[in-house]
Amino acid sequence: MHEWALADAVIATVERIYEENGRKRVLSVQVLIGELQHIEMEVFSTGLQDLLAERPFSFDVFHFETDKASFRCNACGSEWLLDEHTELGEEELEAIHFLPEAAHVYMRCPECGSPDFVLLKGRGVTIKSVELSDD
Amino acid sequence: MIDPRLDVIDRRLEPVGRIIPVSSAKGGVGKSVCAALLAQSFARQGYRTGLLDLDFQGASAHLLLDIELEFPEEESGIKPLRTGNLDFMSFAAFSREHAVPLRGSAVSQAMLELMAITIWDPLEILLIDMPPGIGDEIFDVLRYLRDPEFLVVTTPSSLVRHVVERLLAMLSELRVSMSGVIENMVRSDTDTQTAELASRYGTTVLGSIPFVEGIEDLLAAASRGKTLPDKLANAVRSVSARIASAGASANGLSSG
Repeated sequence: MHEWALADAVIATVERIYEENGRKRVLSVQVLIGELQHIEMEVFSTGLQDLLAERPFSFDVFHFETDKASFRCNACGSEWLLDEHTELGEEELEAIHFLPEAAHVYMRCPECGSPDFVLLKGRGVTIKSVELSDD
Repeated sequence: MIDPRLDVIDRRLEPVGRIIPVSSAKGGVGKSVCAALLAQSFARQGYRTGLLDLDFQGASAHLLLDIELEFPEEESGIKPLRTGNLDFMSFAAFSREHAVPLRGSAVSQAMLELMAITIWDPLEILLIDMPPGIGDEIFDVLRYLRDPEFLVVTTPSSLVRHVVERLLAMLSELRVSMSGVIENMVRSDTDTQTAELASRYGTTVLGSIPFVEGIEDLLAAASRGKTLPDKLANAVRSVSARIASAGASANGLSSG
């Protein structure tokens, strides 16, 4: 349930933006959920809802979008998507779930086998935008 | 894009008293050994102690302290592994004994993630085993962790001292708080050059750790209940007492 720590972080950021902007009403929060981290959305949503009690914004303002994970190999230049990498076992996926950089430990470029690759997108939880009311 | 992890790191570290990154500009000087010796010593003296291994690519603190790696327990985040009075967190809990081939940006991401999701119980002191050099981890510690007190490890080697001086100069230039310098692998204590080096950058030598053959094995055995050789144990106790007394006057570190 470390999704709770991430939900807590999202709320802390929205709360900071809300305070820094004169406590204007929060209309919407776009949250990108990076595919690599394998966030359990039900747990994450429950965490958000529970942690939102007595906050000046409600769960209804949150909108979630999945961000597909993609990679590029620094050695051969090939690019690939996470779902093209099917050889990861349960324990490796669990490690990546906790710490997405563990992908560098367990994944290799499907073309040349190099461990020297970059994650282009789709890592974990980020906030794409926070919309506040004008009044 | 906004990274929400940055907004909780301070809060995650609220239960933590002093934060002491154990650093050196040079590899192989025994940073991890010093960090592990001090962590073990503080924990045995009754201080609630944490050890965070930020040397992702060369994680070894778990080997020195004979800590069996397992996935951390989840509880609104992840809980450090606990052994007695010592709480421990390391990338190695996720990478085990595999190589960790990370470039700089991935190192920073991993550190931010660990800092954002690790739920520390109240600690009087958190030691950080830093990787060698002046790179991402040092800048990230300076940027994201509040009031780190750098402890710099050197050896009597003139080459090491020369390179370590660059770190001391940078920390001094950035006006970073320094808890002091440890001289490790010392065979005789007649040398005054390390004291002069520390003094040039406004800090002091906290003490010397003697060169002891097989110190890694002795440390691991001590984690299983054996005692360290007197000379080594006394040296570590003396250094930890100086760190504790500095904290007692500056930050209210209390005896456990």
